[in-house]
Amino acid sequence: MGLFDAIDVAGSGLAAERLRMDVTAGNLANAQTTQGANGQPYRRREVVLQEASGQSFGSLLASASSSPVNGVQVAGIVEDPSDPRRVYDPGHPDADAQGYVTLPNVNPVTEMVDLISASRSYEANVTAMQTAKQLFSKTLELLR
Amino acid sequence: MSLFDATQLSLEAALRGSSLRQTLLTDNLANVNTPGYQRKDVDFHAELASAMQSGEALDTVSFSPTSDSARVVRADGSGIDADQESAELAKNALEYQALVSIAGTRTNILQIAMGVR
Repeated sequence: MGLFDAIDVAGSGLAAERLRMDVTAGNLANAQTTQGANGQPYRRREVVLQEASGQSFGSLLASASSSPVNGVQVAGIVEDPSDPRRVYDPGHPDADAQGYVTLPNVNPVTEMVDLISASRSYEANVTAMQTAKQLFSKTLELLR
Repeated sequence: MSLFDATQLSLEAALRGSSLRQTLLTDNLANVNTPGYQRKDVDFHAELASAMQSGEALDTVSFSPTSDSARVVRADGSGIDADQESAELAKNALEYQALVSIAGTRTNILQIAMGVR
């Protein structure tokens, strides 16, 4: 149990927020993709985060000193089940018999908001990590 | 008065408590986007004060973190307000630095008394 735990925990937060940013960027990039990997229109993806269960040696050691600190981990990346957008565009090669094209259920505005949220959370974790680092070097100065 | 008196021991205990609190607050910030996350904190001031009152040995006093299940501030069931956590983190960091400065000064005083400096 020490300040290095704080740095590890902030690190897990950085990794989680970066993945959120990656997935959001993927959604934005595929906002108009009518042919996904399975031939269907792309579906919006979302990262589900959960509190880390803590199976590492460090966390077991921490639990021995009655500390519940584990950080965050990714529970999975899930597809958004909401209905896709349908746009009338008879000239589109993927248009159906009625002339409607099925576009991904990606709303660029939602994605931008998610992107800002991930970016701000990332910054918060960077600040927490910097603070822990500062405190640790301050403690080391006691030895001088 | 022994070399390491009650003040020195309680300073060390406070440093331990403050360091634990820093880790817990960092954990809260890392879980800022975790749905249903319960906020963690430790009131090491109160635990240290009660240990001092009951005459418990200060160098072995341990602090127990708590998680607040009643507190929900967001629609996804999370109890974390990022701004509040950042503010608490900054406050706790300052307190830790103050404690380290005091501990350092006290060590210096001892060194001067021993003629090391």
